[in-house]
Amino acid sequence: MRICLNRVQILRDDWFLSADGRFCEGTHLVSGRIGSGKSTLALVMAGLFSPTSGTIEYEGSPSTMLSLQFPEYHVTGSTLIEECLSWGLDPSRILLNVELEDRPDSDPLSLSRGELKRLHLACVLEQQNDILLLDEPFSALDCDQKMRLCNQLSKRTSGITVIFTHEQEFLPPIDRYWEIREGNLMDLGRSPGDGNQILYYGQKQERPET
Amino acid sequence: MIEITGLRHRTLTINHLTITPGRTFLIGPNGSGKTTLLRLISGIDEPESGTIIIDGNVPRMVETGWVNEYPDRNILFSQVYDEIAAAPRFAHLSCPDTETQVLDLSFRIGLKHILRRNVRDLSGGEKVLVAIAAAIISRPALLVLDEYDSHLDPESCHQIDTILRSGEMRYIIGCTQHMDIAATGDHVIALERGRVAYTGSPSEVFRHYENTAFYPNSWRITQ
Repeated sequence: MRICLNRVQILRDDWFLSADGRFCEGTHLVSGRIGSGKSTLALVMAGLFSPTSGTIEYEGSPSTMLSLQFPEYHVTGSTLIEECLSWGLDPSRILLNVELEDRPDSDPLSLSRGELKRLHLACVLEQQNDILLLDEPFSALDCDQKMRLCNQLSKRTSGITVIFTHEQEFLPPIDRYWEIREGNLMDLGRSPGDGNQILYYGQKQERPET
Repeated sequence: MIEITGLRHRTLTINHLTITPGRTFLIGPNGSGKTTLLRLISGIDEPESGTIIIDGNVPRMVETGWVNEYPDRNILFSQVYDEIAAAPRFAHLSCPDTETQVLDLSFRIGLKHILRRNVRDLSGGEKVLVAIAAAIISRPALLVLDEYDSHLDPESCHQIDTILRSGEMRYIIGCTQHMDIAATGDHVIALERGRVAYTGSPSEVFRHYENTAFYPNSWRITQ
């Protein structure tokens, strides 16, 4: 399974993004300054935004899921139960899982942003998609929830996971690092000595057995 | 001094809490009541019971800048320039003075190149920077930042931090999930389940969080 970006270019007024690269199975981290084009690249890789030029190819006809940076953009239900049902999931199980079981009839938009992100990510991760594109998945999560997400992501044994983020403290094991610099997606390769460790507390921990 | 006494509001219970001038960071798990407390201190909500007094005034009498944790909920105008210029214009500043303030601040925050863009087309991080600029341009006595850093890169956080440390605003109260940022504050308040678990200097508060994910990363490395 691979995602191939073939000379992808996005031009907008005086702004541009150029991406040429192969995303193979494993976990990828894409970083870059504010406004560098991380979210735009996520949309392109999800097939939701057509680049100005270039093509994107998916080898192996994978299923794709994009988690947007702002969890509120995903909300379609007017209660937490409806929101879980809209993902085709069992509300009681999901809400128990994210510790919101005592608020099934609450409006999703009345949750704190961290709670909404936690609910959203639980629904996303239930889907078991081949390609998982996560735009700022750690934003608004508390430190325990960030750690929990790292553990969940590190248990994905197949498929392609791409994390677009500024996060530096909490990260799952990363197989390949990318950075958008001055409008160009750069392949930074495998960082020295890692790929099977969770970054946490500044110490390296071994990847849990799966 | 901000004095909170006998506060009961939704899930929040605070019998007594004082906040001194300077940079105060509120920490705690998602759903622990951080936003609820920030809304009360900023005067957006009024407490069901109890009082909050800021230098002898109720919150609604204090000029306050507010940044919402949902970046889109901050935006009033379509163009970045108009959004940042809102407070000086509402204060009837002249157009040239408004322009000087907007240009000066946008330069300091690194927004000068996007002043003519539509706010809706900005990236998540850029929206937050615009909201912060709009909140601080009039140098309010109280600046309240709800999770302002969750969409910012480290360089932008540093730029904002430089402005927050400049002493232009008497009280800065923000919540964050980046404990390294909280550890640089003058004062840290840790909330757990709607109550103040710990309050004091960063070292006084974080010593209770050793061996948890809430301990600042940088402190662990240097020890």
